[in-house]
Amino acid sequence: MTTAVVPSRMPRGSAICLAPLVLAAAVLAGTAIGETRLPLATVLRTLANHLWGAGYPVDGIEAGIVWSYRLPRAIVAACCGAGLALTGVVLQALLRNPLADPYLMGLSAGASTGAVLVTVAGVGGGAISMSLGALTGALVAFGCVVALARAVGGGAGGGRETQAAAAIILAGIAGSQLFNALTAFTIARSANAEQARGIMFWLMGNLSGIRWEDVAACTLVSLVGVGLCLWHRRGLDAFAFGADSAASLGVNVPVLRGTLVTATAIMVGVLVSKVGAIGFVGLVVPHAMRFLVGTRHDRLVPASALAGAVFLVAADVVSRVLVPGQVLPIGVVTALVGAPAFALILVRGARR
Amino acid sequence: MKVGVHGLFARIHRAPLLEDVSFHLSQGELFGLVGPNGSGKSTLLRCLAGLRRPSSGRVLADGADLARLPARTRARRIALVEQHADTMDRLTVREAVELGRTPHLSPLRGWSAADAAAVEAALAAVEMADFAARHWHTLSGGEQQRVHIARALAQTPDLLLLDEPTNHLDIRHQLSLMALVRGLPITRVIALHDLNQAMACHRVAVLHRGRLAAVGPPGDVLAEDMLARVFGVAGSSREDPDGSRHLRFSHAL
Repeated sequence: MTTAVVPSRMPRGSAICLAPLVLAAAVLAGTAIGETRLPLATVLRTLANHLWGAGYPVDGIEAGIVWSYRLPRAIVAACCGAGLALTGVVLQALLRNPLADPYLMGLSAGASTGAVLVTVAGVGGGAISMSLGALTGALVAFGCVVALARAVGGGAGGGRETQAAAAIILAGIAGSQLFNALTAFTIARSANAEQARGIMFWLMGNLSGIRWEDVAACTLVSLVGVGLCLWHRRGLDAFAFGADSAASLGVNVPVLRGTLVTATAIMVGVLVSKVGAIGFVGLVVPHAMRFLVGTRHDRLVPASALAGAVFLVAADVVSRVLVPGQVLPIGVVTALVGAPAFALILVRGARR
Repeated sequence: MKVGVHGLFARIHRAPLLEDVSFHLSQGELFGLVGPNGSGKSTLLRCLAGLRRPSSGRVLADGADLARLPARTRARRIALVEQHADTMDRLTVREAVELGRTPHLSPLRGWSAADAAAVEAALAAVEMADFAARHWHTLSGGEQQRVHIARALAQTPDLLLLDEPTNHLDIRHQLSLMALVRGLPITRVIALHDLNQAMACHRVAVLHRGRLAAVGPPGDVLAEDMLARVFGVAGSSREDPDGSRHLRFSHAL
């Protein structure tokens, strides 16, 4: 029998200093690497020119690529990775289900329905953007799932919090199936082959449309998400032995669960509306981080946010350079890496 | 803690779980809850822990209505050891016990020496201090139950509620766990299946189909007619040579 070993821990101070450096390095790498590889010096000079008007001479086209395309894209990728990983942490902790992921609450299904209704069926007559349609769809689907979960939980329940968690998962599955069916129905009725292909690409994650105006919303929601999860870290810890145990430890379970599930749903809704549904980040990163830093949320939350951000920036780079002359949907890359990684985690978990 | 239970009713889908349950607990008392399966022991413990709101009636904790107490304040005074609480998380024993300090901490108030001392004391009280670095899933059932009790003790409660803590434990662990609970100085309510273990309580309450059939010293309450009427067994109480009483059962009625 192998003896259980407590994972060695970095001193907290060095971890706090290291995290922004790692993140900055990842974003810089994401900005430098691409179909046209730019030297790091060009990237840094362009940034200096824009941030404090340093006035270095830089090629105009290269500066445009760095500042207008790659940098916002890398920042949004980092925000999405952090947000998705964080949502995975929260849902896996609150619902006590290792398979919980950010799209559990019907968010991606709802977003795709919203996007399809706007782009294919022409709802809104061109007045609303696809991203606004997707956000609306995601939040409508989330509302339906929550309403269904409440109805199911109330029927089965008498207030047992463990049953409420099961009700949320079942309602999420039902809601996702319904909205996926609506999407398929809309595509089958009114989309041509080109539109269907475009929708499929968007659904698997697409960062190519990202510009500076998307950065603010994504950064805001992911920073608020990190802050909120850190604020409630002890509440999340208290769920280790289930929702009833958390309640007996003084956690107001319905309030905490409602706050965090709604907040992360809004966060994911905003992110999905910008970049589509990127899979596997929210499922795999939290599990991987539990192996590295343990299950306490004061470490798990920042570690998962950082790892998710770096992972998605890297996945975006890979998606751009893997097939020359073509950008793969980023969801393909995350799934290609994420699925084997998840399998590995499961196997190692079973052996320990 | 002094506890007053006044006219407690609880129901699920109109099916009554508790009907008109009233009793009082005095400071430092060891109070046993016995009754057949489904008689309402767990429901009553959940009401006492504030996890379940009774459909009518009140629980007073040192005179304060439990339903009006904020969850954190309540959890600093009342701790519950549940029947089936397991985790898939890779927790160490110390981390599991540290969870007991949750109601004493806040987002801005960090871990202090007093919290660490409470955790050490709780680990020592259940004789699990040597296991502090072990992982939860490497423990035996008896050890896990001790860690649950340590977590509850780390809350430094005035009232400890235990839901069938000796279930699934071998006889040695059952006896040592009962000895541990008997030695605690706080008010305790313990739901039990083994009526002979209940004989060690100061008083016992017999629950029968959600109603309180009797409350009193175990030697008086667990008499022949009660065993027959509530538990459906033929049995009687005998005096051992050392003067303690124990129950002997002959057959199911």
